[in-house]
Amino acid sequence: MIGLADYLIVGAILFALGVAGFLCRRNLIVIFLSTEVMFQGVILTAVGFARFHRHLEGQAFALFLLVIAAVEAGLALGLVMLLYRRRRTLDAEAWSVMRG
Amino acid sequence: MTTASSVLLYAVFAVGGAAVYAMAPKGEAPRRGLTTILVLAALGGFIAFLFTQFPVAHAERVCFAVFALIAVGSSARVITHSKPVYSAIYFVLTVVAVAAMLVLSGAEFLAAALVIAYAGAILVTYLFVIMLAQQPGSPVYDRRAREPLLAILTGFMLAALISHRVMVGEGAGNTANSGATGITASASLGNTVGIGAIVMTQYVVALEIAGLLLLMSMVGAIALSRKKVEKEYHESPAAALGLAGREAPPF
Repeated sequence: MIGLADYLIVGAILFALGVAGFLCRRNLIVIFLSTEVMFQGVILTAVGFARFHRHLEGQAFALFLLVIAAVEAGLALGLVMLLYRRRRTLDAEAWSVMRG
Repeated sequence: MTTASSVLLYAVFAVGGAAVYAMAPKGEAPRRGLTTILVLAALGGFIAFLFTQFPVAHAERVCFAVFALIAVGSSARVITHSKPVYSAIYFVLTVVAVAAMLVLSGAEFLAAALVIAYAGAILVTYLFVIMLAQQPGSPVYDRRAREPLLAILTGFMLAALISHRVMVGEGAGNTANSGATGITASASLGNTVGIGAIVMTQYVVALEIAGLLLLMSMVGAIALSRKKVEKEYHESPAAALGLAGREAPPF
């Protein structure tokens, strides 16, 4: 049988890998792919809790997470295309002036 | 959870962090021997950890461990591969492995939705953008990560912190109903019917808001990508020197 701790730990590892990728990669597209990896960890955690408590609310929550991921991907890629057309590069450092 | 297994888990996190650091693009030739040893050590330790809690090799548990390994390994490649196209393809592998874990835990509808929405729709969009914005050769921002040591330290400290909380919670006796036989058994009508019922009754307002959010995202994406920016590009000093990207515009 699979315990709750397994879901939580695998979910935490996926989320942590996403955080590490988000912080260290410089390609804008790979940065957004890292956020999708984080979403995978969160979905796994939600489904693990749904199974642990034996009701479906965790799965409904994960379904809404899927919608948010789709919205985020659509907007983020539109923004990436806009930034790419301005500077002709996907390097996040090209926009370091926005750091303030 | 015993102390030995939690020490083992922290050791796996440390070795795994070192393995991801060894895999991260640092602008120099990769040391393949060291990387392979670290990766194998981390994977072996992870398998050993997953079997310390329940020593009996249950079939469901073996499947979960295999898919967890595939998911973690391929997501490590997503964040470390120096070619974005390969990152996206490895992400498909992550999604499929996570969907398999969802099937194992009785969430069939969500697994199908994950494969259709992620691997079918979102990833195709990512691949489109990668290929539209592809630069010739391998640009420097793909070959050299920004502060990989600090970033990986942050990530794996976070994972260790969450795992520590999980273990403390387990020690307080939270494992009471972890032996659930699957949600389909309690719903008796099937997973998809159950989710449909709960989403259309209890969460119907949230469902409407989600639909509205999708509409807003569509309008926003169209508004963003319709902007004319060609003029600003041709006026930029980097473009005048021929330093910015390739010579021919993609359209």
